[in-house]
Amino acid sequence: MRVQDLAQLSTRMFKTNPLRTWLTILGMGVGTAAVVVLVGLGFGLQKIILEQIVFGETLLSLGVSSTGAQGLRLTPETVANFELKDGVLDAAPLARFPALVTYKGLTGNVFVQGVEPPYLRYAGVTASEGEVFEEEDIEDTNSIMLSPATLKLFGIADEDIEGFIGEQVSFRLLVPADDGSEEVNEIIIDKQYTVRGITKEEGTLNVLMMLPELRNYVGIEEYERIQVRVDTNENLPLVEAVLIEEGYRVTALSKTVEQASKIFQGIQAVLATFGGIALIVSAIGMFNTMTVTLLERTKEIGIMRTLGASPNDVKYLFVSESVVVGFMGGVTGILMGVAFGMSINLFLNILASQFGGQAVSLFSFPLDFLTFIALFSAGVGYLTGIFPARRASTLNPLDAIRYE
Amino acid sequence: MAKPLIVCRDLSIIYNKGKSNEFKALQGVSTDIFEGEYIILFGPSGCGKSTLMYSIQGSLPPGEGTLLVKGDDVYSYPPAERVYFQRYVMGIIFQQFNLIPSLTVLDNVALPMIFCNTDKTTRNRRAQSLLDRFGVGHVSHKITPMLSGGQQQRVSVARSMINDPKILLADEPTGNLDSVSTQQVMDKIDEINTFDRRTIIMVSHNAAHLSYAHRVYYLKDGHVVREVVNPQRKQIKPVREGETIVTELEQLARLFPYDSVETLRVKSLVNYLTQDYSFDQLVRMEHAISLLIQGKIDRSAFIKSMTLPYERGGVEVDEKEARRMASIAERMINRADDVRRFRARKDNNDIFFSQDKLAERMKEHLTHEYRIKLSKEQNNNMTEIIADRVTGVIEATDMNERMMRGIRSGGLSLSEREADDISRHFEKTIAQGIDVSYK
Repeated sequence: MRVQDLAQLSTRMFKTNPLRTWLTILGMGVGTAAVVVLVGLGFGLQKIILEQIVFGETLLSLGVSSTGAQGLRLTPETVANFELKDGVLDAAPLARFPALVTYKGLTGNVFVQGVEPPYLRYAGVTASEGEVFEEEDIEDTNSIMLSPATLKLFGIADEDIEGFIGEQVSFRLLVPADDGSEEVNEIIIDKQYTVRGITKEEGTLNVLMMLPELRNYVGIEEYERIQVRVDTNENLPLVEAVLIEEGYRVTALSKTVEQASKIFQGIQAVLATFGGIALIVSAIGMFNTMTVTLLERTKEIGIMRTLGASPNDVKYLFVSESVVVGFMGGVTGILMGVAFGMSINLFLNILASQFGGQAVSLFSFPLDFLTFIALFSAGVGYLTGIFPARRASTLNPLDAIRYE
Repeated sequence: MAKPLIVCRDLSIIYNKGKSNEFKALQGVSTDIFEGEYIILFGPSGCGKSTLMYSIQGSLPPGEGTLLVKGDDVYSYPPAERVYFQRYVMGIIFQQFNLIPSLTVLDNVALPMIFCNTDKTTRNRRAQSLLDRFGVGHVSHKITPMLSGGQQQRVSVARSMINDPKILLADEPTGNLDSVSTQQVMDKIDEINTFDRRTIIMVSHNAAHLSYAHRVYYLKDGHVVREVVNPQRKQIKPVREGETIVTELEQLARLFPYDSVETLRVKSLVNYLTQDYSFDQLVRMEHAISLLIQGKIDRSAFIKSMTLPYERGGVEVDEKEARRMASIAERMINRADDVRRFRARKDNNDIFFSQDKLAERMKEHLTHEYRIKLSKEQNNNMTEIIADRVTGVIEATDMNERMMRGIRSGGLSLSEREADDISRHFEKTIAQGIDVSYK
């Protein structure tokens, strides 16, 4: 039988029995829609979390800090040392000093952190307002970035953050005395810094300043933290292991991401299981319909067989019919599921904009996933059709033709 | 000597073998069917005729014996070849038409070609030309349930011919049709045999179809009880001289298709002893009488057809005899009207129902016919007897008995011979006049 004839013969049910055909498709569709919605929710949640983490270099970086226990110190030599290690591309340090910040006569306690621009990239520091330090800003001596909590010191409300860009603040550094005593020397930096950006770090009172500028006022012998940029993903665990062996405390963002991914895969699996149950129920329904169709068509099969249809012709006819129904069910389900997810998204976004929250997409439907679902439902159609089809093809034509 | 197209030797088919409902559908059947023959498998239902046909078709493997089509055992073919055989060698027509209701007429006819991967233009052109040929081309785009039975069967004849098969099988093709459609379908099948030279194997239990066939196999309880050659058709099966001769039995078999050979022999002899006319003359006489009864011919035309020489389609009776027959028949037909009228009034409960008058007239005719003189009392009694008989109060034997009874006890005091003659004559008249379409 030629494909176009097969297609014509196996779509007759839309004309001869439209109600039952569409109900079967709807049944498959609802099952598929359940899978699409639930897995789409999983994808959406995962995306929401991962969108907050900067990808790229951040994932290839290790954050190294001293445990303090073995007297390991992070010094400029350590940085140079790290850079020489196999698989390490670069190392960027962070120096940290307590300080007092003054804005329009208000003074508060903060930490001034001296960094070079690569560190910001490796650590994944981004700006919620204003600009981050770029590579060419290394010689910058006039601007700083603040964490949002710092603004709270000056009584700046959340909605006025944007207006704070370009404001001027001044610092007094609190540097521990060289002699090892508890004494703290206060170094007054006699100039005004311009605020160029606000970071996203919640909960800490931090000021970011270029490391060379900080060196102008204080000698730096020990770093708080070093970000080590590893060349490839494969080397990440190797370098990490080496550093841990040397006694450093190492944190890797990639680990966190991996863990988050795993958790979400778990959540997706659970959601997909529930959706899958719905799909199984509808597949059983479809199987039932195909079996009834077979009984109904017994006579027709007998006629076709005596007219010269081969058993395979009969089989193809049945299988293609159920594949068509399965695939249509899949497409219907995708349409229903996506429409449902999209409307929930829209509803949430309207709600969010009403209450001043951030817009989120709770549901996400990657194209690959939808294609897979469409093909999968066609596959389910095939499976529900193959057994009735096999039975149909083995029927004795004479018995079949006399079946009423 | 040509080889037969289909050979069955000692074919046996047993359904549900070894079970309690075992049924021997065919037992030791042997047939030879030659190319171009028109064969009818004839017999009552359950005789195995359809079983034999479907076995030849390739759907029902024989339990024992050999079945060869074109010298090959169909059931030894691999599945693909058997499908090929069913597509290109066998065409089939069913009693139930078996068209697929969800397809158009055109697609139904083209369906066997769809399975053969023929492209759409070719198969539609062929299907349309076949539909045109069988007179249903104008309905090709309707779906089959919208067609009449006769049209559906002609569509299925077209379908059976789509792949130009060598053999056409027909399973009681006219079983569900009215007489007009039956005639059309039978003519088309006959045309396929005589014009297209296809071998036809038809299963039937309608004796009227037997004249179409070259040969008829009579089946009963799974056996072929006899094979009858149709003397009206030029035989294809080679007959060795003296091996089989066409006898009166073949002729009788067509008149009495359900009777066994023994019964036919009896009939043949009884006919010779009692009748001066041959079966052929009787058949023609029946035809003439039927036209006379229907009023389609008058007395002179009847006499003419009776006296015409046999070669010219007449019965070849001498004129005097023909005239006698004509007058008796005519009188009887006319008097039958009185019976009809009598009963019609009775049924309508007419208050002016003059039963006596009609009964009187019937009595007059009867007495006149047999030239018997009756007293007044006898006349009254006879009128009463006739009225009772036509009303249905008494049976033919009662009438006979009452006519022999004494006059005082309501009879006529006739002799047994006279009573028999009169009642026989009167029964014939009643038979003509009675309305037998029972309500």
